[in-house]
Amino acid sequence: METSENNPPRFFLKLFRWFCHPDFREEIEGDLYECYQNYAEQYGKEKAKWFFIKEVFLLFRPTLIGNIHKLTNLNSTVMITKNRRLIGIMGAITVLLFIPLIAMQFSKEVNWNFLDFVVMGALLLATGLLCELVLRKVKTTKNRMLLCGAALFIFLLIWVELAVGIFGTPFAGH
Amino acid sequence: MSLYHLGEFEEIVLLTVAILNGKAYGVSIIEEIETRIERNVSLGALQTVLKRLEDKELLKSEFGEATKVRGGKRKRFYEITTTGRQILRDTKEQRVSLWNAIPKTALKYS
Repeated sequence: METSENNPPRFFLKLFRWFCHPDFREEIEGDLYECYQNYAEQYGKEKAKWFFIKEVFLLFRPTLIGNIHKLTNLNSTVMITKNRRLIGIMGAITVLLFIPLIAMQFSKEVNWNFLDFVVMGALLLATGLLCELVLRKVKTTKNRMLLCGAALFIFLLIWVELAVGIFGTPFAGH
Repeated sequence: MSLYHLGEFEEIVLLTVAILNGKAYGVSIIEEIETRIERNVSLGALQTVLKRLEDKELLKSEFGEATKVRGGKRKRFYEITTTGRQILRDTKEQRVSLWNAIPKTALKYS
């Protein structure tokens, strides 16, 4: 929490600039600044600093925030694409879990208990969400493929270890 | 709140903007409210209401000058629109008519 000579806490000022809607940023930042100066004159810098932090948190409202508004804007084509992909991942996980469930009805060689389904569901969910995070945050195709490939490889390793125990870890299966 | 009805805080803000008559911006509105009705107002609560009143076209605004005390940022000055004035008058009339309808004995000190 840095403060230069007569300026409000820099971190919280940056936080405000990050979440505030660009259309309102200038006037509200000016008001925040002026309030801070008035408060510092009346009650001292330390109290003014806490007052400033409180005001920044109280500005975090749906009407005034910008970045989060964009993230929750379901009319945006990008968001629709991202949400469709996430729904696709969830759907794929459900379909994959149905495969052993259906196979169990016809063959005695597939014999999963409830815990097996929970563990597999959690593994698939973690891998799916990791891939989704990579696709949202990483912009280049090469890096996306590398990171998603790594996530899938780790998933396969854990799965094999749980199934037949190739590394001999405490949670290895037989 | 609907378009034609003011919430309690909306009414206070609209009245304060009228009192300040062309000099109403975030900090001056807060100070005026605190002085006149001794009510603490956060910048977040005020800005939300100001934006809502602007959306309802009861207020209009424009940028003013930038000062050093504001870190070089401009002020946004608010003014009441014709619709805003009309709504304030209507609200006042409703209040007065309600006060006039109270029987004299109802608010008598015991």
